[in-house]
Amino acid sequence: MSNPLPIIIGIVGCGGRLGRLLVQEVVHTEGCALGGGTGRADSTVIGRDVAELAGRAPAGLAVTADGKAMFAACDVVIDFSVASVAPLSAEAAARHAIPLVLGTTGIGNEDQATVAAAAAKTAIVQPANTSLGMNVVLALAERAARALGTDYDIEILGQQHRHKVDAPSGATLALARATATGRDVALDQVEQRGRHGEIGKRPKGAIGLATVSGGDLSVIHTVIFAGAGERLEVTHRGSTRAIYPKGAVAAARWAIGRPPGLYSMADVLDLA
Amino acid sequence: MNIRPPMKIGVTGCGGRMGRLLICEVLSSPNCELVGGCDLAGSAAIGKDVATQAGLEAIGLTVSDDPETLFQSADAVIDCTNPAVAKSHLELAGRHRTILILGTTGLDSGHRAAVDAAALETVVVQASNMSVGVTLLMTLVERAATVLGSGYDVEITDIHHRGKVDSPSGTAVMLGQSVARKRGQDFGQMARTVRHGETGPRRPSDIGFAVSRGGDVTGDHTVILAGQGERIELTQRTFSRALYAQGGVRAALWARERPAGRYSMRDVLGFA
Repeated sequence: MSNPLPIIIGIVGCGGRLGRLLVQEVVHTEGCALGGGTGRADSTVIGRDVAELAGRAPAGLAVTADGKAMFAACDVVIDFSVASVAPLSAEAAARHAIPLVLGTTGIGNEDQATVAAAAAKTAIVQPANTSLGMNVVLALAERAARALGTDYDIEILGQQHRHKVDAPSGATLALARATATGRDVALDQVEQRGRHGEIGKRPKGAIGLATVSGGDLSVIHTVIFAGAGERLEVTHRGSTRAIYPKGAVAAARWAIGRPPGLYSMADVLDLA
Repeated sequence: MNIRPPMKIGVTGCGGRMGRLLICEVLSSPNCELVGGCDLAGSAAIGKDVATQAGLEAIGLTVSDDPETLFQSADAVIDCTNPAVAKSHLELAGRHRTILILGTTGLDSGHRAAVDAAALETVVVQASNMSVGVTLLMTLVERAATVLGSGYDVEITDIHHRGKVDSPSGTAVMLGQSVARKRGQDFGQMARTVRHGETGPRRPSDIGFAVSRGGDVTGDHTVILAGQGERIELTQRTFSRALYAQGGVRAALWARERPAGRYSMRDVLGFA
């Protein structure tokens, strides 16, 4: 019996903090092989060995600014880089008819429309968060919101590290969406953000989002269901970024051979 | 139109903290009629007006030390007493086919048989915690433990007021039992209620308990599911004991005209 061919995985933004962790994860995951990595054209990492850059034995693959060549060489691509790159990655994945795992947060509406259009042509997994624990928390938050109804006020608190440049975090938004889904309402109709000053009484049914920032590593997200005389809190604490690459590579393997569409980690982990 | 008469409800342990709250709740619930309250012979409440000892205006019912008469006259009895007394109340409930809402905690395996015997004759709702939040918490914990599997260690913390005499709390034990059940394990084998000194490494399947007591904390419980690089925490905080009383009355009304059997708050609230 012969082993099946490994899945060839490419990493967009492989020189970044998360990019390097993704490369490490691909290299040490059985059944997967590195297909290449890209970086910004003006970056100092261009031309260096992708695996060596991530602290692994050289793979004989140089970091390139040519995304086209990398997409052509891979079975699936993972992009956790920056929001502006997301529509380009989505279009490239559609053009080459390979799946994409798109973990970038802070994608604007217009760019998201481009991603959705690309997802009509190929499988795109867009996880708000790739950790197993966070995805369980998303499922529990939706369930609790459905069971408790509007007698319990929903507040979502994201505590992010100081390096994070956008707020609320993707996970905060995903949690807010999950609770809105549980209540069968559209989030943009009920969400409250950036409270300050004379904001008036809390509207019944509102879903509040708040962010605090600080420290370098730990990321904490809490969904609070505050009722009369009691409250329920569902919390996820991430203490290392290593939890994300594992889920991202799992999503990449899952996406191979899927029909076109926009998928979530709940699909990958079968949590629905 | 057929209007049902109000449900006749009795309260045992009506001179205790929970008992007095139950009296208030029954008296303020539209579909309920308080038929009496009893307490242990020798208790300070005996002979007082049931309502005045609960802080309300007199209603002409005195606290008795005769549970048998109470079980005869009531449709349902809500019991928040102690394990020894609760056992005799289970027998009375079975004999007189009176619905029993059993809120007493600290029950042991001997009570299981007493509950089963009574449940052949009448409805027994076993509700060591009668709040909506804790009942939902149980379902969330079970779901999380099932999905996350053995790679996530389960620890349970419980914080209560300085007057609480049993530990871990009945709710903490109930939460641990549901985790063990979901994992197909024997709770008695897995529960680690004391850690002190040279404990050795944590056994993989341990369900650990940590108990804090102090101040007037009504009751907080957290179930921690700790994995590699992340953990989930599911917390319920109770601020008002009136919640329990509301849950007790809700359970009694729900139990009306149900077939005999053993039920839980999850059945009452419809949380799968």
